[in-house]
Amino acid sequence: MDFGSFLKSPEIKVKVVTYRDIFQDKAMIENRFGEDYRDRSAIIKLDSADFKQLNVKKGDTVTLKNSFGTIVVKAEESGYEPSHKGIAYMPNSPWSNMLVSDETGGTGVPKFKDISATITSAKGAKVTEPGF
Amino acid sequence: MEKNYNVCTGCGMLCDDIEVESEKNIVNKVYTACRVGVAHMKEGRESAVFRVDDKPVDEATAISEAVAILKNAKNPLIFGLGTSTNETQKLAIELARKTSATLDDTSSFCLGRVVEALLQNRFKACTLDDVRNKADVTIFWGADPSDSHPRHLSKYSYFPRGTEKQRGWEEDRTAIAIDVRKSHTAKICGNNFFQVPPGGDAEFIDALIAGLSGKLPKTSYNFPPKRILELANILKGAKFGVVFVGLGLVYSLENLEPLFRLMDALNEKANFHLIPMVGHYNMRGFNENLFEETGYVNSVKFEDGAVKHGPEYSIVEALKAKTVDAALIIGSDPLSSLPRSIAKNLLEIPVISMDPCETLTSRSSKVYINTAISGVESGGSATRMDGVKVEFKPVVETKRLSDEAVLKKIMEAL
Amino acid sequence: MTNAMELYQMLPKTNCKKCGKTSCMAFAVALMAHELTADDCPPLKEEPKYKENYGKISDLFKASEGATSTGLIVHEELCFGCGNCVVACPPNVANDPYGVGSGNAPRDAKKLILIIEDGVVKAQNVEECRRFGKNKILCNGCIVTCPVEAIEFV
Repeated sequence: MDFGSFLKSPEIKVKVVTYRDIFQDKAMIENRFGEDYRDRSAIIKLDSADFKQLNVKKGDTVTLKNSFGTIVVKAEESGYEPSHKGIAYMPNSPWSNMLVSDETGGTGVPKFKDISATITSAKGAKVTEPGF
Repeated sequence: MEKNYNVCTGCGMLCDDIEVESEKNIVNKVYTACRVGVAHMKEGRESAVFRVDDKPVDEATAISEAVAILKNAKNPLIFGLGTSTNETQKLAIELARKTSATLDDTSSFCLGRVVEALLQNRFKACTLDDVRNKADVTIFWGADPSDSHPRHLSKYSYFPRGTEKQRGWEEDRTAIAIDVRKSHTAKICGNNFFQVPPGGDAEFIDALIAGLSGKLPKTSYNFPPKRILELANILKGAKFGVVFVGLGLVYSLENLEPLFRLMDALNEKANFHLIPMVGHYNMRGFNENLFEETGYVNSVKFEDGAVKHGPEYSIVEALKAKTVDAALIIGSDPLSSLPRSIAKNLLEIPVISMDPCETLTSRSSKVYINTAISGVESGGSATRMDGVKVEFKPVVETKRLSDEAVLKKIMEAL
Repeated sequence: MTNAMELYQMLPKTNCKKCGKTSCMAFAVALMAHELTADDCPPLKEEPKYKENYGKISDLFKASEGATSTGLIVHEELCFGCGNCVVACPPNVANDPYGVGSGNAPRDAKKLILIIEDGVVKAQNVEECRRFGKNKILCNGCIVTCPVEAIEFV
């Protein structure tokens, strides 16, 4: 009996902090619709404990979801110390922006670096295309 | 021998010491620029493209369609201009007046508040050259220049010798990073990296202020008081300190009050300046040009010769409330850079996109005008992140129109 | 990075002097300095019992074939051209104080050890590096200033 198949796939709540990455910036300048830009944007860096709990391998896709959108991106371990369980990092991109709240309190400033979402394994699903 | 240097318009640093080898208007080799700068300077490849409703058209058709959209609109939005010259920005302000437009740039949702406070003399300002020549303590707060402005540390803020800093970085300077993660810049700062939890900056500021006046620094996240006191001691000893403010800090603060408090406290004990880590090469120029014209740095609405200002005229709130009925987007890609939940409202109005490259926005626009790369294929002047004016000539020639030339044609036709 | 002691452990330790050095330890030091190679130790090269160690030592230095004679390797794919190493390198500063020493473009790139070309650091004139030659010191100015570990000495 494979007990794993009876368990609901683990779901983790994370706070996503976005950041800038120079290689991603360079890839954007070269081609915003290219593979390199997608590979360097559609990723999420997780704490190793969260990564293990999701039961995924480096480069596996995961689904990030909140009330503003759903995206499929690749997961990797951040390598950051100390532990940052529950906090994940993503380069700022059209992918991360699909999860940013429209709530601004009338200030004109969305919370780009403060995203709440849930993550689950995407089981082989493809990375989201950011087109409209 | 005098060398022929070019200016790199890849970011807000506007590096003015770039050597370029080109042949037949193709850039082959770039010296001294960083990887992003090189990509930017080698970007120009395409020939001019004009599109209306996804079909290729000629220049005249694209311009007249753009003019028709602006004429029919009651409240068009003019947005972007962070990668346009001062000359283009001034034209855009004039165009906004003429068309009773809402005018805004990316600064309304990034560093605009900080630049505005600087222009209102709420902070002590200095130039990057001052930083190179004098700074002994630099703080990168919520900023990672290694990734956003790659040459920042080597050209100005940490490693170079300056007129009053002759002994090298190990002896002469202290660089400090305060951030939510160990960025590339934080790594270089070594033991002077202070990791705060997301949203914890305001508390850290107040703890640091307490530390500066010898009180016990407390935070709800139990940051070791000893380390804050150590930091306070370094800062107290600064003869020429600089705080480089990044988006990480600005997004973490509800308003700028904590930053005002901090700078005041630092200047009671030492000598501290502030420079915003402006990303786009001429965002600061937009802020200054609009400030000169209207007294505001962004988020304005022109109406019957008067100017209204407020967050409701920012791109984010204007799109949310659907108050604008057309958009002219110049050198910017809001469909990529704004939250999708807000940006999607752009799809409901006619959009004119002027951009050197294809973007999500250009692909969804009613009119697309492919312009020259500002600073590579067309020249002009811009304002560096620290407020210094920089002039530049095109590096190579192109058949594509500059955004300035396109705006002139639109103005004439109006 | 290997040190002379680790190399010594892999040598025959017979002090046979066939390499021209007075001891195996001296040979190890010469290996480190890239003065001699594993091929200069006849027993190591020829005797079957040392075959494994001969391979190991040869591989150690093969890894540095892309390296300059000071053992400096640039991992181009990691470098993004920030120029920290160019500005911090002591000989660069000494040879071009108002150019790269002051954070600017080189006044005369020919005199420098590290320059930035097409957004990536390039090493040249390595004999000027402080890790080179008789009076060498273990300078690490270019390593500690690199945000991405793109420079390494082997």
